[in-house]
Amino acid sequence: MIPGVKKQIAIVEDEPALRENYAAALARHGYQVKTYANRVLAMRAFQLRLPDLAIIDIALEDEAEGGFDLCRDLRARSAEVPIVILTARDSEIDAVSGLRLGADDFLTKDVSLPHLAARVAALFRRIDALRRPSETGEIIRRGALALDTEKMQTTWNGVPVVLSLTEFWIVHALARNPGHVKNRQQLMDAANVVLDDDTITSHVKRVRRKFQALDPTFDAIQTVYGMGYRWVE
Amino acid sequence: MRIRSQLLIVGLSTLVLPWAGCQYARELETTLRASQEQSLLASAGTIANALSAEPDRVFRDPADAAPFDARRGDLYVFPLARTPLLDGYREDWDIARDPVPAAAVNGPPLRLQVGVTDRYLYLYADVADPHFEPEPGAVQPDRDRFDHVDLVLEQADGERDTYFFATAAQGLSAAQTWNLGADGVRRLGVEPRIQGFWLQTTTGYHLEARVPLSLVGKRLGIRAVDGADLANHADPTKTADSADPRDPAASRGPDTIATGRLFFAPRGLDERLATFVRTGTRATVIDRNGLKFGTAGTLDPEVDESQSPDLSRAWFRRLMAVDNRALPERSPAPDRLDGAHVDAALAGRAGAAWLRTGRRDLLLLAAAAPIVVEGRPRGAVILEQAGDQLVGLRDRALTRLFNSTLLAMAVAMTFVFGFATWLGLRIGRLQEGADSAIGADGHIRLEMPESASADELGALSRSFERLLARLNEHTQYLRTLGGKLSHELRTPLTIVRSSLDNLESGDLREDQRIFLRRAREGSVRLQSILSALGAAARVEESIKHAERTHFDLRELLAAAIAGYRGGFPRSRFEASLPADPCPFRGAPDLIVQMLDKLVENAVDYCPPDGVISVTLVRAGGEFEISVVNDGPSIPDELLGRLFESLIEQRTGADDRPHFGLGLYIARLIAEFHAGTVTAANREAATGALFAVRLPVI
Repeated sequence: MIPGVKKQIAIVEDEPALRENYAAALARHGYQVKTYANRVLAMRAFQLRLPDLAIIDIALEDEAEGGFDLCRDLRARSAEVPIVILTARDSEIDAVSGLRLGADDFLTKDVSLPHLAARVAALFRRIDALRRPSETGEIIRRGALALDTEKMQTTWNGVPVVLSLTEFWIVHALARNPGHVKNRQQLMDAANVVLDDDTITSHVKRVRRKFQALDPTFDAIQTVYGMGYRWVE
Repeated sequence: MRIRSQLLIVGLSTLVLPWAGCQYARELETTLRASQEQSLLASAGTIANALSAEPDRVFRDPADAAPFDARRGDLYVFPLARTPLLDGYREDWDIARDPVPAAAVNGPPLRLQVGVTDRYLYLYADVADPHFEPEPGAVQPDRDRFDHVDLVLEQADGERDTYFFATAAQGLSAAQTWNLGADGVRRLGVEPRIQGFWLQTTTGYHLEARVPLSLVGKRLGIRAVDGADLANHADPTKTADSADPRDPAASRGPDTIATGRLFFAPRGLDERLATFVRTGTRATVIDRNGLKFGTAGTLDPEVDESQSPDLSRAWFRRLMAVDNRALPERSPAPDRLDGAHVDAALAGRAGAAWLRTGRRDLLLLAAAAPIVVEGRPRGAVILEQAGDQLVGLRDRALTRLFNSTLLAMAVAMTFVFGFATWLGLRIGRLQEGADSAIGADGHIRLEMPESASADELGALSRSFERLLARLNEHTQYLRTLGGKLSHELRTPLTIVRSSLDNLESGDLREDQRIFLRRAREGSVRLQSILSALGAAARVEESIKHAERTHFDLRELLAAAIAGYRGGFPRSRFEASLPADPCPFRGAPDLIVQMLDKLVENAVDYCPPDGVISVTLVRAGGEFEISVVNDGPSIPDELLGRLFESLIEQRTGADDRPHFGLGLYIARLIAEFHAGTVTAANREAATGALFAVRLPVI
């Protein structure tokens, strides 16, 4: 990445007003934004040149799950390009997550533009950090857990755990102060998202499942009923 | 009224069948009676005609047509079936009639009955004379006073033979008489052919006497004389014309005794009559006075009577028979017949009548035909026949009719009842189906019972099914409306919000920022509304993916309540949990979410100083979690519907939008755990009580 050159963000969204709003906001933050209304147009452009980051809506015009296919194709072409999936419904996160599409984050369209910009910035930061392997950022260790806040990478017993950005921030918020109960609002704030309580719950559940896939005895995230969650070592 | 009872009542209309049958039987009986009348009248007419041709055999003296007058001492001579014993008792006469008072004369009252056998005339006198003056040994009729009975037998030519009965002691004795000797002196003589038996009783005495028919003429006179009355004794043999009319004793001369005519049944009439009658018919010949001159045949009602009265016949006979109570009763007199038919016959017209006989209300048909001699009715033939033959005929017909109609009715009623039961069952099933079509959870069952039937109930059921299908579509539409609406509105709202975000980043005047802030506030509210609308769909979604684990319900509740104490600092929470752990299998997140909803609801309606109490008890096979709050009661009309989706809720303590989804979600979660959630008002005070019952798994 050459400094001074604007990073290019591709927005694939079939709703023109929304598309332009996102484009305007990101452009204001100094990104070069390309917008595409459907999968075919986007794919054609990606074949010519890969964007530095892609924001993809799931439902694209007449393709109800065109975003998934696009995401998969893009990931096939590049393992590095950060991909943010936008969904209309919270519940779709489950479906998207289940597909293991290789997206870096999942956001509902409720996300505010400043939050979106913050997230985009974070993803670029992570890319940059990953490209500088020698530099070590702040590493938080909690027993078997290691969180690289710079690269936003998570390992459990040294094995990488693939977490989305939102999930990473949730784990980060919990693990930073073990034993402290974080309520849902605090987790939402940490993850820079506005979500329903139910969605936070399902996020936490998913995080647990990802850890348990590596270590069936994983029990570090505890539910404190009526209050929230806490990290126990 | 249930359909079964209604149809049963309709079925009772088949009772018209036996009724019609009864009408028919009655008609039949009437017709049969008429024909029996005709046939009996014809027989009576035939016999009467035959007898008219030989009046000598019918009447002792065909020329004598004098009327019978009991007051003048006329006597009917009863034909005696057996020869009576002379013993002072008339029980062996077999006559069902008491003696009649003899024609009025001075002296003790005397009651008399006369009978006849082949050879003798029998007299029976009952005298009321309590004081007995016996006859002295060597009687001096001129001087002696003693009780005696005078008897006058008057021949056809007017010659009177007088006798008297007297005795020294009761017993058999011959009649005595005064014989005027050739010397002109009357001497007491004994007539041994006339025997009498004197029987003393407490009230007087009985005299049963026997006179050979050869001594009997046409007339007879009798009187009793009390010896005590003969104080100023005159010669009892003095004739009436020499007697002083002022002397009461003078009237006691035997010559003064009035005689009455004797009405004999002619000899041989019975036998003659017997040649005419058939069995079961009784023929009676009467004279102009209605006196019986001859009878033949028996009614033979005993045959019918001996048959044990069939119970079934008896009851419907009582119910349906032609009413006989208005019929005249047959005259019980043994010596005479009367009635309209007799009067008609004696007037020269044949007539028939239905009569009742006393004992068992047996019916009797009597037909009377006049015996006409020399153009004038001199008597009548009465034929009597038991009407029971008809009754029997009718009863047989009725019995058959009744048996068949009763059987038909029973079959019909059984069918009607069975059909009604079947119909009732089907309608009941349909009703049950309709009642349970919309389950407590609001789900609509689309299948109705009976929908395969081809009849109207099937059509009704199918109509129900169509209705339910429409209702289900509508309900589904309503159920998903919130989620759809939320989904559809989200994109435009996102456009609005992202536009506002973009607008905010630009340079704006202060007054423009005010509007921007308001627009943002509005969009935030809109967002929360949409979020609430979509909540049910999200919960349903998350319930689908919920995982069950084993956990301690008590511990979970304790932790949650602790959380609520921190989360809702303005409310006071009271917890009542069991001492022992409560192991439960379910989705703890969902249970907490359900509790959240109930507690949020309680907090919303609980006044600031109010108490919210959460209780967990284990009752039998289930856990009951109840959340009770102070505050207003729930209106009754809302109680049953609180847990439905999108029900407009009570006015909350704040202005937050209430879509009733919280309690709907609580219900979904309770049902996921195979439990129920109910709402009620507290009994002791105002406030609501929400109870969740979860079966222990």
